[in-house]
Amino acid sequence: MNGTFGLRNIELSYGARRVLAGLDLDLLPGRCILLCGDNGAGKSSLLRVLAGLQPADRITVTGPEIPSPRRVARLLRDRTTYLHQHPYAFRGTVERNVAYALPRGGERVGRQARVEEALSWAGLDHLAKDDATRLSGGERQRLALARARLRPSPFLLLDEPTANLDGPSRSRTLELLHTFLEEGRGLVVATHDPAHFAPVCDIHLRLEGGRLRLAPPVSPPLDRAVEAG
Amino acid sequence: MESLSQSGLEALRLLVTGDRTLWEIVGVSFRVSLTAVLACAPLAVAFAALLAFRRFPGRQAVLAVLNTLLSLPAVVVGLSLYLVLSRHGPLGEWQLLFTQTAMVLGQMVLCFPLITAMCHAALQETDPRAWETARTLGAGPLRAVLTLLGEVRFALLGALIAGLGRVVAEVGSAMMLGGNILGYTRNITTAIALETSKGAFAQGIALGMVLLILAFSLNAGLHWLQGRSRLDPEYLT
Repeated sequence: MNGTFGLRNIELSYGARRVLAGLDLDLLPGRCILLCGDNGAGKSSLLRVLAGLQPADRITVTGPEIPSPRRVARLLRDRTTYLHQHPYAFRGTVERNVAYALPRGGERVGRQARVEEALSWAGLDHLAKDDATRLSGGERQRLALARARLRPSPFLLLDEPTANLDGPSRSRTLELLHTFLEEGRGLVVATHDPAHFAPVCDIHLRLEGGRLRLAPPVSPPLDRAVEAG
Repeated sequence: MESLSQSGLEALRLLVTGDRTLWEIVGVSFRVSLTAVLACAPLAVAFAALLAFRRFPGRQAVLAVLNTLLSLPAVVVGLSLYLVLSRHGPLGEWQLLFTQTAMVLGQMVLCFPLITAMCHAALQETDPRAWETARTLGAGPLRAVLTLLGEVRFALLGALIAGLGRVVAEVGSAMMLGGNILGYTRNITTAIALETSKGAFAQGIALGMVLLILAFSLNAGLHWLQGRSRLDPEYLT
């Protein structure tokens, strides 16, 4: 379950426009793949295909068996969790939102303990009983990360997780991403600011013309480089 | 002929003294209309969800028909069901004509398009991220739909109240299918029609007041519920 998740030949077109032109991607446990590209290059579309939210025109999964298309969508949803650029909070308390990510059933006390652990991990314990729809951008991002923490899926797909966040919120999000990696979860992060992710990035890819190519290693943002120097 | 003020005073007297006939009539109205709305609701909500989340051939045509049915006159529903339920009609054997069940059926036909259209409008307004978030957090299609219904619960409740308002106030279908039998199928609206034709306005006015008071209470209740769901506007700071 915790091995590499290999996806091949991913194709997607919107009408005549070809967004993904048969690209291959391996999701790696404990590794962070940074996905860059111009606006409209198809980064979000790729993440949504990987999340099983957007059906691809074609996609195959490496492995001994070749699953049916319906099974592939299910497999993608089971193995990945997608985080929107602006995460959605359901009506109700922060605590209830986080609990949503737990599989149904199971013992109540155990569930509550897991929710509390995820809330405190994300630094949201003081907001547990608050209305989730009233959270700030940074808090909402951490709510989404807390939900992702409770999911059994080995891979997380994050769409611009630090866009519109201020410095402190951004470092906090990065710290949380770091713990995911330490726990062996694989990340794919779509972003316009690769420099911000220098501390966690393992592989830097660029999406261009519907294909992926290896991009030069990411260097940290200038202010950090100066501090380090 | 009584003057309006005389009739109004007499109406108040009937209401506060708990006139038995009057409250029986009120009971029939609400039993029939509430049953109709509650029986219709699951079907209407499910149909609205289907229209909102599934793309299928003929969907636009279904929506156009649904919107047309919003202006369906109650007497036309009454007439159509009368023909179906009357002794020589296709369902004549069921002997439902002039029963509360027939009134419920008529009112279900009347409120179905309204509740469906309002629920559909509410579900269409849901944020696409809500569905995707539910799915990516492991919800199956059914749980995801239920989550979305929860997100728009006040709009759905509003649709049910609007549906109730539509059927509790209709007279045509209740008159034709129920037959206005005292103590059994005489409801508020058919009683008002009858009393007015007899020149006995006080009971008509009293019944009209009950209808308005109850409609007001339902709407006030809905607003109260919506208000309670909001917390302090701290998010503005």
